[in-house]
Amino acid sequence: MKILRKFSEKVEPSFKDGPLKLFYPIYEMLDTLLFNTEKENDTAPFIRDSIDLKRVMTIVIFALLPAFFFGLFNIGYQQALAFGLERSLLANLWFGLKVMLPIVIVSYATGGVWEVLFAVVRKHEVDEGFLVTGLLIPMIVPPTIPLWQVVVATSFGMIIAKMVFGGTGMNIFNPALTSRAFLFFAYPGKISGDSVWSLAPDGFTGATPLAVTASVTGGNARALLDGVTQFDYSWSNMFIGLVPGSISETSALAILLGAILLIITKIGSWRIIVGGVLGLLGTALLTNLLSGASTNTMLTLPPHYHLVMGGFMFGITFMATDPVTAAHTNIGRWIYGIMIGVITVVVRSLNPAYPEGTMLAILLMNAFAPLIDYFVVQANIKKRVARYAQ
Amino acid sequence: MKIKIQKGHDIRISGVPAGTVNTLESVTEVGLVPDDFRSIKPKLLVKVGDKVMAGSGLFFDKNLPQVVYPSPGGGTIQDIIFGERRKIRKIIVAIDKDEKFQQTEPLNPDNSTREEIIDFILKANLWPLITQRPFGKTANPADHPKAIFISGLDTTPLAIDPFMALEGREDEFRTGLLVLTKLTDGNVNLSVGSEARAVEFNDVNGLATHIITGPHPAGNVGIQIHHIDPINPGEVVWTMQPQQVATLGKLFTTGEFDPTVVIAVGGPAVTNPGFIKTRIGVPVSDMIKDNINIDARRVIVGDVLTGRLADDNDYLGFYHRAVTILPVSTERPFLGWARIGSSSRQYTLTNAYLKTGRKLFNFSSKKNGAERAIVPIEAWEAVLPMDIMPNPLFRSILANDVEEMEKLGILECDPDDFALATFACPSKIELAAVIRQGLELMEKEI
Repeated sequence: MKILRKFSEKVEPSFKDGPLKLFYPIYEMLDTLLFNTEKENDTAPFIRDSIDLKRVMTIVIFALLPAFFFGLFNIGYQQALAFGLERSLLANLWFGLKVMLPIVIVSYATGGVWEVLFAVVRKHEVDEGFLVTGLLIPMIVPPTIPLWQVVVATSFGMIIAKMVFGGTGMNIFNPALTSRAFLFFAYPGKISGDSVWSLAPDGFTGATPLAVTASVTGGNARALLDGVTQFDYSWSNMFIGLVPGSISETSALAILLGAILLIITKIGSWRIIVGGVLGLLGTALLTNLLSGASTNTMLTLPPHYHLVMGGFMFGITFMATDPVTAAHTNIGRWIYGIMIGVITVVVRSLNPAYPEGTMLAILLMNAFAPLIDYFVVQANIKKRVARYAQ
Repeated sequence: MKIKIQKGHDIRISGVPAGTVNTLESVTEVGLVPDDFRSIKPKLLVKVGDKVMAGSGLFFDKNLPQVVYPSPGGGTIQDIIFGERRKIRKIIVAIDKDEKFQQTEPLNPDNSTREEIIDFILKANLWPLITQRPFGKTANPADHPKAIFISGLDTTPLAIDPFMALEGREDEFRTGLLVLTKLTDGNVNLSVGSEARAVEFNDVNGLATHIITGPHPAGNVGIQIHHIDPINPGEVVWTMQPQQVATLGKLFTTGEFDPTVVIAVGGPAVTNPGFIKTRIGVPVSDMIKDNINIDARRVIVGDVLTGRLADDNDYLGFYHRAVTILPVSTERPFLGWARIGSSSRQYTLTNAYLKTGRKLFNFSSKKNGAERAIVPIEAWEAVLPMDIMPNPLFRSILANDVEEMEKLGILECDPDDFALATFACPSKIELAAVIRQGLELMEKEI
């Protein structure tokens, strides 16, 4: 450590004022990544909380780990299932790692290049937001994704959703989710999510749980799911996550562990998560009540099935709680969360084109978050003005 | 009124002052720092070598020429130190062995009019004891405040209990309260921490006592005003600290300026944290002599959240009731952000580090991170017990949008009340400094 520290101190002048001035953001990034910053407070307050943005992002990464490792395992598990193989837990993990690692490396490398490039050109510091985005993107793509698509999607998300707005803290849309939306609309044949993604023999097909229910009219969702023999689409199995899907979205259980960590550490907004879940359950309950009037099978899907199917749990825990793109006021966070839950069910149930609605619901609410905040702030102002008038 | 403040936090910083009050003897010089008074333009009344009495005027405010600022000691003007553009930084007075105090005839507030009382305080050069909100500056004697607020509990880190500091001066404090009841048509509000304390003041006419409980910033007068009688546009309230009320009371009973003040000396770098009885303007070096356990340290006059950075050649300000000393740490932990954390190394209002127990924490003056864009994880809101939205307010100040700032309630805000939010900010944004900047902008507009 001491050697590294000394080296860093030795090269600092050449980056600060010397010939390598252009690359100071890179130096700053590496230096503060290796060693916590030593700046003193020159204005009051003279003491500060130990938390900084690096730690905030680290906690989010910690929270992602259960879902990440479950995703690794599930890649191997699904592949073994498709080929009819018997494999140990470790072997499944190892298989998954071999698939996942290239995607993670490509995602971090692509995003890192853009992040540093913008930092150098615009002469600001490299921020920590990408630590999370770079891991989120691999976790929400299918295991079958070609690496070039990862490059294109990451670049799109980084530049269009984040950098053009000025980087972390300024963006309107969640960068990782924008990357996913880009894939969804640019390569609909592969990514739209009606047939399963699994590393399987040629000609292997199957329907995702949401597609199973969306594709039939006039049926009963639960009976249809129970009738699938190719996969085990029971509630408990979907809760644990042993079903095909995007790499880390399948296990509600693993995501729940992450959600608990986010809420306990106060990094993720519990209002958004709870609001989202309530919105989803409530709307699903409503569609159940209305299901008699229609032949739409999705309307019969019970609320607790909505919760564990598709990407909802992952989305509400890790995407919707992105503090920058969510609503910034507490009342706003409730509305924002609830609306994500509501719109997810509405898109899933009432729109035959898209079996999955979480991504679109969150992106839509990202766009509406400033408007929600506007009304919350206006209400606060009105309350004060009313007091003035007394 | 009983008010329970929910949001906030009592920072568990080590070096908590305890024990009895020690008297600091043989002060040979005192100093006055004009910067301790917000938004004034000082114009000197003295020059180096002049003889002054304790309480005689050193300078006046060009914006408010009738308000003269008193010398904290009697003797000779030893030095006047100027900064850039001849800004007065410090006025230093060498105290004579037979120190003289400016003397006037005492005044009985009971049978005096408001005008007589104001005139009396102004003539004694003690008007700066009274401050006002909004803006937290010296009150304007021409104003009619809608109420006067005194906070009788101090929740800042390492503070002295105001009633402990008042011991032996209770009668002067009561006289001071009586004076204040003459200055406003509204209430004189005294907030205290317990019912038992409140009943002691039942007999003071025109005084409203409030019982405030909860974590810091419950003791901040700005928070109390917000909950008891919030400031509307065009309104002014006056505020005073309990010890200043006693100083004011003493002026009326003896006709003399008593610069005595009892302060707390604490912080992780202090060997024997305790309380000292001293006087306004005392040199920092006198207060911290032989009481520091580390060479690399930072001295803050005032509390650690709202005070002012000082060196050994600095002086205790007019409004400061504490001196805090922090160690300077140059340690840069390797991969510190990835640590699981421990309660001895990290202190956070979130739970982002593992922590156990409620041990006191050895804070250093480190920022613990680099400045970044706002990532709103409710860190500000969680410790701001006001119906104010800090995030939109912050943005409107950065945009210099005076109209929006006023709508969002900036006139009720004070940097001191936002200090805890600044402490908690993960993006290390200087929120308190920005609030001050917004208030300065408002002041120019009004």
